Amino acid sequence: MQRFQAADNNGALKSLKEDYEIIDANFLQFCSSHGILSVFFIYTVEDFLVHDVCTLVASTDQLSNSDRLKQVYLSSYECFFSMLSWECYQDKLLTAYGETSFDMLLQGGLHEGHVTELVGPSSSGKTQVCFQVASNVAMKFGSVVFLDSGNSFSPTRIQQIITHISGSAENKINGILQQAMRNIECHAVFDIFALLNVLHQLKLNVKSQTGYQVRLIIVDSVSSLIAPILGGSSAQGHALMVSVGYLLKELADKHNIAVVVTNHMVGGEGGTLKPALGESWKNVPHVRLQLSQDHASKGYAVQILRHPYMVCFFKPCGAPCSWSGQNTKYQSGHI
Amino acid sequence: MVGCISIEKEKEKEKEMEVLRLALSASQKGRLISAGYTSIASLSSISPSQIALELKISETEALEILKTVSDGRRLESNGSSGTIVHGAQSAWDMLQEEETLVRITTSSADLDNILGGGISCKEVTEIGGVPGIGKTQLGYNKLTSIFILLVFIYGVFVLCVLPTKRNQFSQYRIQLAVNVQIPSDYGGLGGKAIYIDTEGSFMVERALQIAEACSDDMVQYSCLYRKGFQACKVRGQPKDFLENIFYFRVCSYTEQIALTNYLDKFITDHKDVDSPIQNTNQMAIFPSAMNASKSFELFLFLFVKVVIIDSITFHFRQDFDDMALRTRLLSGMALKLMKLASKFGVAVVLLNQVTTKYSDGSFHLALALGDSWSHASTNRIILHWNGNERFAYIDKSPSLRSASAPYSVTTKGIRNSASNNKRIKHM
Repeated sequence: MQRFQAADNNGALKSLKEDYEIIDANFLQFCSSHGILSVFFIYTVEDFLVHDVCTLVASTDQLSNSDRLKQVYLSSYECFFSMLSWECYQDKLLTAYGETSFDMLLQGGLHEGHVTELVGPSSSGKTQVCFQVASNVAMKFGSVVFLDSGNSFSPTRIQQIITHISGSAENKINGILQQAMRNIECHAVFDIFALLNVLHQLKLNVKSQTGYQVRLIIVDSVSSLIAPILGGSSAQGHALMVSVGYLLKELADKHNIAVVVTNHMVGGEGGTLKPALGESWKNVPHVRLQLSQDHASKGYAVQILRHPYMVCFFKPCGAPCSWSGQNTKYQSGHI
Repeated sequence: MVGCISIEKEKEKEKEMEVLRLALSASQKGRLISAGYTSIASLSSISPSQIALELKISETEALEILKTVSDGRRLESNGSSGTIVHGAQSAWDMLQEEETLVRITTSSADLDNILGGGISCKEVTEIGGVPGIGKTQLGYNKLTSIFILLVFIYGVFVLCVLPTKRNQFSQYRIQLAVNVQIPSDYGGLGGKAIYIDTEGSFMVERALQIAEACSDDMVQYSCLYRKGFQACKVRGQPKDFLENIFYFRVCSYTEQIALTNYLDKFITDHKDVDSPIQNTNQMAIFPSAMNASKSFELFLFLFVKVVIIDSITFHFRQDFDDMALRTRLLSGMALKLMKLASKFGVAVVLLNQVTTKYSDGSFHLALALGDSWSHASTNRIILHWNGNERFAYIDKSPSLRSASAPYSVTTKGIRNSASNNKRIKHM
């Protein structure tokens, strides 16, 4: 994606000429000529892909070397498309957990533009995963906004995690630590209206100011804000919940921000636990991960409940997790 | 051009239903919208009486609505304040702040150790316990557990009223260093306690007993380290401690919720009893007379520093048919307590009963009120028996390792466990 954006800046497909032999002078000429013909300019690969394939192919007929161009066009279309989606994928997966087994399970990490939900019973490590993700993103990628509803944001813990991740010497750590910790912003929210207000502010600020580079928004936990208003005779609570979900999705999608929310577990039928907030919240997160703690072995496990392009593991302890054991977690300051 | 128009349209669309996200009741919102007030801007230059007339509501209600609206507007206009979101704090600043935060000791060194120095202000800590597992013993156990909890909590709150030795010392040093400063900087030291009793099990005699032990310790301490520290002897009267405990007795869950809502105002009101401003003036007049004991005394009894609810469970465990309602009420109350803790920097301590929970083929201890309540507190501590010794176990905490430590209950209150063979165990 970045490369394409670079191509965008240079204003031409030309920059890709060296990489792909399929793009020759003829092809470029076709593109530019077509640009003149159809008012829209085909300069970048994205423009290229946005165009309707059939119209373009049809328009090649009017030119002399139509067959060759058609072929070039179609193959390049295919090539670009796969490349673009792959690059998109790679690029968006930058926001990684920084923890091998977790990243491996998710084939790379958190997805930008996606709302990821962590669900699990209490003390299953949801907040710890949030801290880990926040530290990692703050160190490597950009700003993090942490919306805290349970007074659980612990700067000391963040400090431990950052110190561990950076792994650098004592004297060097201070600069990195300060920089990373300045990148994390915490805001306490204690009711749904405060949350809505903050999200609206974020929407306005992210839109108007480009300097911020917010890469991650964490809401820990969204369910404790929604639980007091959900249910009962009034439908207002439900409406507010849906608007929170909508706002989160909009923020994630429009500004390419990764959003992480945490959710509770409540007792379902037959004593089994299920994620709280019910059916209409279910479609808000793109990815749903369930964390659990094994009381016998004191280990932790994560399983995928929902993911747009990955197979879900339904068996308990779907993925072996090396962040198991709060022991190691706390001794080394690492999940 | 096309882009411009769509952005404009979008902006308009966003403004259309701004009223929806204001903290108003559903009926108020409905009235506003049907009267045509959908955006915040439309409500900015309008008088309360006009709104009252148009919406057919009382004028006080109209005033409240306008206040909420102006709050919402203020939030929006203050967007450019260095942080992305107005009112947010960077983790770095919070870290600096946390280093100055005082913790309330439990007066058992082992327990303090696993708690990272004591019970944290600004957090909600839930404590529950039952000795042993076994349903047949429950009746007996319940009694014992209540006793243990009470003793535990007396220790905590009496010590809160009285600044701890260590804290007192460090605070004292800071004061010497910075000399005359803003008194609220030292507000973390010593304070008042609010005790909310739902079960009617508060025993003044026991509190007095612990307070006496405390003041004894304190006098001893001051004799040892600070000669001529007479203020302590005067201040350290046990009955003074009791004076600084506000006791509330609640008899139903409605009362409990009402009281939780009222606490905000109560704490604000009791902030100015020993006016810090007055103290500053005194200091300004006699800067030379600012000796250690005086400055210590000035900040000794200032604010409410701990809110204890004993127990949170009692009224919610009986006479509740509508479980969904219970969940709503409880989670609402939890958020209010969280807000209280964070706004005033008070430690909120909730006592809970314990049940056994079956999972993964084994029984283990869990605090009562169910799964959704288990998320309501920042930290959870479970007290249990292990052999003949009492143990405290950290079940949940965002910043602490789960660990268990022994402690014992003496006439003086909570102390370190007598036997030395069982020490802290980190999980």
